[in-house]
Amino acid sequence: MSVPVIRVKGLVKHYRNADAPAVNGMDLEVMPGEFLGLLGPNGAGKTTIISIITGVRQPTSGTVSIQGIPITRDAHEVHRIIGYVPQDIALYEALTARENLTFFGELLGLSGQRLRRRADELLERTGLLARAGERVKDWSGGMKRRLNLIVALLHEPAILFLDEPTVGIDVQSRAAIWELLHEINATGTTVVYTSHHLEEAERLCSRVVIIDNGRAVGEVSDPQAHKGHLEETFLRMTGRGLRD
Amino acid sequence: MLRRIIAHIRKELLLLVRDRAGLALLYVMPIVLVSIMAVVQDAPFRDFADKQVKVLFRDLDGGVVGEKVRAGMDIAGSFTITDAGTLNEAEIKEEVRKGHHQVAVIVPAGASKVLLDRSAHAMDGLFGQITGDSVAPIEPDSAFVRMIVDPTVKHAFRELSRGALIRILAGLSSEQLLVDMHARMEAITGDTLEPLKLMAPFIGVDQRLAAGETSGVLIASDSTQHNVPAWTIFAMFFTVVMLAGNMVKERNSGCMARLLTMPGGVAERILGRAVAYLFICVTQLGVLLAMGHWVLPVWGLPALVLGPAKDLALLLLAAVFISGAATSFGVLVGSFARTQQQSAILGSSVVVIMSAIGGIWVPLYIMPQGMQMIGRFSPLNWSMEAFNVILLRQGDLGELVLYLLPLAGFSVLCLAITVVAERIASSN
Repeated sequence: MSVPVIRVKGLVKHYRNADAPAVNGMDLEVMPGEFLGLLGPNGAGKTTIISIITGVRQPTSGTVSIQGIPITRDAHEVHRIIGYVPQDIALYEALTARENLTFFGELLGLSGQRLRRRADELLERTGLLARAGERVKDWSGGMKRRLNLIVALLHEPAILFLDEPTVGIDVQSRAAIWELLHEINATGTTVVYTSHHLEEAERLCSRVVIIDNGRAVGEVSDPQAHKGHLEETFLRMTGRGLRD
Repeated sequence: MLRRIIAHIRKELLLLVRDRAGLALLYVMPIVLVSIMAVVQDAPFRDFADKQVKVLFRDLDGGVVGEKVRAGMDIAGSFTITDAGTLNEAEIKEEVRKGHHQVAVIVPAGASKVLLDRSAHAMDGLFGQITGDSVAPIEPDSAFVRMIVDPTVKHAFRELSRGALIRILAGLSSEQLLVDMHARMEAITGDTLEPLKLMAPFIGVDQRLAAGETSGVLIASDSTQHNVPAWTIFAMFFTVVMLAGNMVKERNSGCMARLLTMPGGVAERILGRAVAYLFICVTQLGVLLAMGHWVLPVWGLPALVLGPAKDLALLLLAAVFISGAATSFGVLVGSFARTQQQSAILGSSVVVIMSAIGGIWVPLYIMPQGMQMIGRFSPLNWSMEAFNVILLRQGDLGELVLYLLPLAGFSVLCLAITVVAERIASSN
């Protein structure tokens, strides 16, 4: 019997000056090799949950462990085995794509030929190799999104977290990202991602957890088997009221 | 860990090199500032040794007093004298009021006669006691050389002119007394006495600098010796604007969130930045010292006097501490500012204020007492004093440490506040 690679228990995050907690007693377990989607309306707490699980933010209470390692105890070790794709284009725009990959790759423990080969492989895979010497600021949104993703794949993480990885990009770039995510998941990488795109979640995820008001309010296993019903389930669980 | 720190250093340097406006701010701005300020402050720093004060001279006396005052002011070397020709006092006053001349000196008519009369009267009093001759009871009138001053002229200029006139007139009176005394002695003895030899002052002033010689040159604070280190320090601290701006950009772009999910902690990031900015600060120091040494003399300014290799090593050491203080302050500003505009305004304003009170623009010793007290708490003042210890006072490491320790303390304080603030922000 396999053991969860991610375990979240009773997670609470209360921002100062906020009336209600952003995360309010979240429990979650993710099994190895899963492709888990965290879906929820605006302000549901998806980004906060991912930020805490990856060690960007401290929880008010609750515990998070990755492969059995508590994130609050040994974040350094956890950071060796996870990859994180932030919602923003988290790149140095004044640097070239290759310089960005070299910088982040060295932080991730890669160097020399190994780093160069891995960067080339990912650049090639996402159609960016020919323009790797250009500064990122001169690139389109779709190209930046693809680079934003492959930075997190440099060290071949066991678990990949993505926060809205396909926001505001063209269809071709989105398709390329989907394809790449499918591939890396197929090689055994656990993927956890947040999105608004229900169709995207249906196509990619092996399981979807619906979040609202900072906690899991429902779950859909194998959403591809229930194609077209995810939206109905989502609205039933989160309501039809408009969100800020 | 070392590899990660090197990665941070390389990234910071690449970001700086790619930012042309930033590079201009870090290198061109201090070059321009040093050039302008050294030229502008050259005159005040020369201590009026050159012909600085423009004097309009009117001799209504036409005698020895007018002649000697004119000659004495010429010899003093601090005045550029223009003859007023036939202008009357009102016209002379108007010339000064308009600022055409800073000072006017009018030797009144009959001044020479007054000099002779007063001296003769003094001799009558002295020799009357020997010969038994009676002395006229009424003392002759005094004469006054009139000095008219432009109201915009600094106190130091006024005092310089007044002091020179007092010195000349006192010398003239003494000289006349001796001449008269000689004549009276001849009259009493009936002999022809040796002419009186007017010697140099019995007790003179021998001015020396408390510092030793550097490369065979006695160095004192001049425009170059002040402005080159001063604006180098300013430039080193101005890296705060770039550093804090890049930090804010890093945070707002999401790069910081990514960094927080990668191996390596805050210490590695800060160390990477500190080393990158140390490199910038040391190159700024090199560029500006070279400029002071080789370029400023081409423009007629004093050359920056650099000491032996030991002094250069101390300068490098001081640069490390100054750069550390600047970087730590930049990190502090960068962690508190929410936008790049905030970081630019906050960083530059505080550096400008700390430089103004810290003796960068003008030396601390010419500020009012209260400002001097405040200025001694500015890290830029500690930096300036550290450079002065090396460049002017030829001090040793022991003296230098007195200024490096507060800089180190300031760095630690800034970093401690940053770490605490970031922990609070992360837990919020």
